[in-house]
Amino acid sequence: MSNVFFHPKDLHKLETKLQEKQAKEEEESERLKKQIYFLKDRHVRFFQRCLQVLPERYSSYETSRLTIVFFALSGLDVLDALEVVDKPSLIEWIYSLQVVPTEDQSNLGRCGFRGSSHIGVPYSTSKGPGSPHPYDSGHVAMTYTGLACLIILGDDLSRVNKEACLAGLKALQLEDGSFYSVPEGSENDMRFVYCAACICYMLDDWSGMDCMKAIDYIRKSMSYDNGIGQGAGLESHGGSTFCAIATLCLMGKLEDKFSERELNRIRRWCILRQQNGFHGRPNKPVDTCYSFWVGATLELLDVFQYTHFEKNRNYILSTQDSLVGGFAKWPDSHPGKITAPVCVCSHEYI
Amino acid sequence: MSAVEEMENTPNSVLEEPEEEKGSSEYVEGEADMEEDEPVRGGYLFYRDRKEWADLEPVPQDDGPNPVVKIAYSDRFTDVYDYFRALLKNDEKSDRAFALTAEAIDLNAANYTVWHYRRILLQALEKDLREEMIYITAIIEDQPKNYQVWHHRRMVVEWLNDPSDELQFIAEILSQDAKNYHAWQHRQWVIQEYNLWDGELEYVEELLEEDVRNNSAWNQRHYVISHTTSYSPPEILEREVQYSIKQIKKAPHNESAWNYLKGILQAKGLSSYPGLLEQVEELRETYCSPYLLGFLVDYYEDALETNNNKYNQTETLNKALELCELLAQEKDTIRREYWRYVARSLQSKYGSGEISSPSSSNPTPMEQQETPSSD
Repeated sequence: MSNVFFHPKDLHKLETKLQEKQAKEEEESERLKKQIYFLKDRHVRFFQRCLQVLPERYSSYETSRLTIVFFALSGLDVLDALEVVDKPSLIEWIYSLQVVPTEDQSNLGRCGFRGSSHIGVPYSTSKGPGSPHPYDSGHVAMTYTGLACLIILGDDLSRVNKEACLAGLKALQLEDGSFYSVPEGSENDMRFVYCAACICYMLDDWSGMDCMKAIDYIRKSMSYDNGIGQGAGLESHGGSTFCAIATLCLMGKLEDKFSERELNRIRRWCILRQQNGFHGRPNKPVDTCYSFWVGATLELLDVFQYTHFEKNRNYILSTQDSLVGGFAKWPDSHPGKITAPVCVCSHEYI
Repeated sequence: MSAVEEMENTPNSVLEEPEEEKGSSEYVEGEADMEEDEPVRGGYLFYRDRKEWADLEPVPQDDGPNPVVKIAYSDRFTDVYDYFRALLKNDEKSDRAFALTAEAIDLNAANYTVWHYRRILLQALEKDLREEMIYITAIIEDQPKNYQVWHHRRMVVEWLNDPSDELQFIAEILSQDAKNYHAWQHRQWVIQEYNLWDGELEYVEELLEEDVRNNSAWNQRHYVISHTTSYSPPEILEREVQYSIKQIKKAPHNESAWNYLKGILQAKGLSSYPGLLEQVEELRETYCSPYLLGFLVDYYEDALETNNNKYNQTETLNKALELCELLAQEKDTIRREYWRYVARSLQSKYGSGEISSPSSSNPTPMEQQETPSSD
């Protein structure tokens, strides 16, 4: 410090400033402590609450409630906290969502699992034939997550009508190899290709889909920049890249259908997604969910080990909500259910 | 505290907002001033209290004894959907059903069953599809990231066989969010289905003028050209190479431009283009970036692979390895381990089996975490 004489008034100002600075530093240190530590218990409670009741503003998730269950159970499973759920009740509820063949089996092409009870079919836990309803059908993502949940909960799938599920799945595949989500028709893209592959894998029966056509769809979806889009010509995206690569891995065909050069190009595209956390497309902001979609893809490609673990972890923790539990898309934003378990998973990677 | 209350009262942070649900009230004409003991809230009458709906038995949702992820619907919401389920069960095709779908959509535009049912009604009741286009336009403006609304629009366009509003509409949506994936997907579908390629390259260029980092626009550029002139004519390829370089000079740290440049050249092999190396080396001084350096690594790798004696393999390999180390140490440190992996792979594939230099040593993941980071 230079040799300056302070006027008493200035001295007081200086003291106040120093106190403010100290208070700020303490606040910052507390905030950092919350970031540094992965708050496992908070997240467990967050997932538990998700499984109970959600406010009305979550109404847009009605038709996909089963996927919420999947994310919550996956999160709890990764955190080794499944003991907090009532497994038998959950299993019954999930089975109540299965669309089973009617007496005359005329609805085989519509079988699978529903996302929820929103159609209004009477509650029935997959015991006996289904009651006919003009608009009752499964949804490919719900069949996937339904089966996955049952497996997580330790169920033996004995009440799953495998033939019906596979028939329902077959009905969804298009000429170009992609899938609709429902037999009534919907958009078609890489998400549902992945769901289909998961279903076949879990049922250990690939007769539910034409693999050659699906692989063709995947190859055609590779972009000029070596990432993979939702379909041919579409922009490469972390989500669709995961769906494509994971599908090939489930089929056991990754190294078969992409050359080593192509795989190296895909690796490069993926690894360039890391900014601190990950984003899903070049020049887009990062989002915690891509730590999973892109991180998982990198792991399937054997190069997740070459990412910057610390920057990714710090980013994920910065989105952690220390009060409510769960993780948000971005720091200082609100936690989502979808993002949370995927972040938990990617955090667990590290 | 019940789970709902705990969620509601959570201070400061609430669960991630899905798309905001607009509430619209359905006012039944003349009922607002009724004095009877029917529950009326500001003029709104529940379906269960409407005389014209008395013939229908509402169908509640049934989650059994142990519901999971139960959504706490308001009375109003439940009422609308209980009647929707009733219509569905009876497969009723009527105007009142059509009107109710709009209300159900307003409460939850993500319910694909309601949209499907509405489409059935549109056809069965021979509704005015032009009106429907106006309707769906407003909904998409309000909820542009919803899958169901875009699918519905596509169906109506197909039925009308009239795409004439599409490009302008999509441009309007993109003006609010230039990277909306649904919008671009719909745009590509319309253009391909109805052969509307004319003017699209100009549109792409406008967007790139506004934001040269818009990766969706670069993707569209590739889409248009590959489906029209293609990149085969040398004058087209050259034009695109020059365009890319021009954009790189405007914003050197732009992955999209470099991905495009590499993308259009990689099929024939980067090292097959005379003058390319020189052009990129020239850019290096003023417009360097990790993408430029990565491009050079790929260039040299291609040269090694082609091995057409134009190059000295050892020299080429060393140049590539040097670049990897430069990227690892200085220019792209977040990917340090990756660039070293690339170097090792190149060394192993093209090296002549000599002792590797210290910089390309292979640390185990454990080791690499213990190394203090210098960034």
